[in-house]
Amino acid sequence: MVAPVLLGIAYAATGAVGLTGIGATGFSLDRLSQVLAERTVWRSIGFSIWVAGAATILSVAAAACAAIMFRGRSVTNRIARALAVAPLAVPYVVAGAVGLLILGQSGYLARLAYAWGWLTSPDEMPALVYDLRGIGVILTLAWKEFPFLALVAFSLLATRGSALEETARTLGAGWWATLSRVTWPILWRGLLPAGTAVFIFSMGNYEAAALLAPSDPLPLPMLTLERYVALDLSQRGDAYVLTLVALLLAVAAVGVHEWTRARAEIFDE
Amino acid sequence: MASFTDLGRRKVRGVGALFLCGLTTAVAISGCRNAPAPSASALNSVVWDSVLAGARSTTVTWLMWRGDPSINRYVDEWVAPRLKAAYGITLNPVDAQGPVILNQLAVERQARSGAGTADLVWINGETFYNLRTSGLLYGPWSGRLPNARYVDSASAIISRDFGQEPAGYESPWGTVQFALIYDTVRTPSPPRTVAELGAWIRAHPGRFTYDQSFTGVTFMKGLMYALDGGVQHFGGRFDEAKYREGSSKVWQWLLAARASLWRGGQTYPDGVADLHRLFANGEVDFSMSNNQNEVVTKVRQGILPSSARPLLLRDGTIANTHYLGIPFNAPNPAGAMVVANFLLSPEAQLEKQKPDVWADGTVLDQSRLPATWAARFRALVADPHALQRDSLVKYARPEVAPQYTERLQRDWRTQVRSAPRE
Repeated sequence: MVAPVLLGIAYAATGAVGLTGIGATGFSLDRLSQVLAERTVWRSIGFSIWVAGAATILSVAAAACAAIMFRGRSVTNRIARALAVAPLAVPYVVAGAVGLLILGQSGYLARLAYAWGWLTSPDEMPALVYDLRGIGVILTLAWKEFPFLALVAFSLLATRGSALEETARTLGAGWWATLSRVTWPILWRGLLPAGTAVFIFSMGNYEAAALLAPSDPLPLPMLTLERYVALDLSQRGDAYVLTLVALLLAVAAVGVHEWTRARAEIFDE
Repeated sequence: MASFTDLGRRKVRGVGALFLCGLTTAVAISGCRNAPAPSASALNSVVWDSVLAGARSTTVTWLMWRGDPSINRYVDEWVAPRLKAAYGITLNPVDAQGPVILNQLAVERQARSGAGTADLVWINGETFYNLRTSGLLYGPWSGRLPNARYVDSASAIISRDFGQEPAGYESPWGTVQFALIYDTVRTPSPPRTVAELGAWIRAHPGRFTYDQSFTGVTFMKGLMYALDGGVQHFGGRFDEAKYREGSSKVWQWLLAARASLWRGGQTYPDGVADLHRLFANGEVDFSMSNNQNEVVTKVRQGILPSSARPLLLRDGTIANTHYLGIPFNAPNPAGAMVVANFLLSPEAQLEKQKPDVWADGTVLDQSRLPATWAARFRALVADPHALQRDSLVKYARPEVAPQYTERLQRDWRTQVRSAPRE
């Protein structure tokens, strides 16, 4: 299981120091220092962290809300839960294309606003796709990751919630106290690993970024591919360095997750 | 880098020898085990019929750009069944573009995996340059195709690929010329020169942009010719000093226009398909294409409005040819040659040029064709959306050394795209 991953990392590492790949010229750390000195690269890293972070926070919050609101056994609650999970089946490319169709300056939102007289021309529509803040990518990623997190949140409350909450209630806790002292802690601790996975995945997601992100700053996966297929062969090795950067960011996210978990009191057992 | 190239050349010779070995066995000529590296004349000495025999009942895997439905339809529905019927060849088109083809072949050689996976590749310009200098192409072979005798070899645009001699390592397939696309209803009197275009952009903020892919680079190259002494100034080998001077004028022009571009030049469409979408949706007033006839096909498909027209700037626009090559490790070079020869036939070239099909310019010289075929080419009905042939020829400018393209693409990203704003 681990072997292909290690092999990939080793290949990227040898590529980054000029030992493999097209245009390889022998061992040298020049490429590493050159790439890491580029302003474009740091802007790209910053943009990707912002987009992935915002999408993760949005989707975790939405999943927690959905789990708290629709945890009952009633038919409405069951339908709501089924609907919340439905976007899981939508491929990312489709999600990105739908995002473009709805949020673009000639998209449905712009046309509706125009038809209702809120805009005098469609290009007055605020830029929600290819925008420097990455709103379109963030919304699409959050929408796509929400069902996965919701699924986790639903099962957390279904398996852990009831007993602890009932105990709290019998001890005299009110609605708010139960929510803030029992339900929310169960949710955030349980969602932490899934949220970390969502953050790492969102940072590496190519499809939504390719369809909706601006060209400057360019999201990290797009910058990596741009270098890997550059017409100028001397730039292709940069892609290996960028791959290692992405790997480091993922490892750092896992590290933060472990650190948080170790500090938080676990009341599993 | 030198040893890298030499290794490639040796390998090419090795595969060539193997191929020759197979062919000569087919015609029962013995003693090929120690055959010397085949030259063009040695390959030409193998009769074409034996190539045909070697190609029968084989599969030809073709790496090609699959991004245009009209091109795919031509290949899948017109070319493939005819190859099957006439030569027993099964065509297997696989999606891959220049940089991807280069990566794939380089990785295959690095893995030393013996026979490769692709037989035919659709390439030109910098991809040809990189494949050729890295020894990733098989050849020379194109001169021996029976249909090569019809090729318009006198045309500077066909006989040289971005200033390079194809030298038999690629066979011409089609020619195209860059054109802007505008809408006669929205823009009744469009700009006709680079200077007028610059003024138009500043007078119409937010209504023009260019894509950050191949078409956009061709647009920039056209600007470079126009702003710095014409194409003749950039002829011959790549010249760093000329590039620096020419490109700095391009960056100046583009930066002066930037604030008036779509989205204030803060973002650019990823590829030309995105630019077409912006144009068709009315977000911008111009699109562009590397093929002046793309307007014709896209209007017929209903993708662009019927009032869309191609526009040639009088400063000249870039015309180039696209080619077919055979990878150094092609498992079926004989099949690839037969396919390339069929694609060069008057029949296949005529079909490809029809406005309903692809509208890709032929590489054949009508004066060399049998009279009946020449008449059929002349009879292709002129579409009102198409440009007149004489104006195309008048404004056509050839490509220059591929390094200009590589550098323009790379440097635009730092000099323009992420250039700081005041």
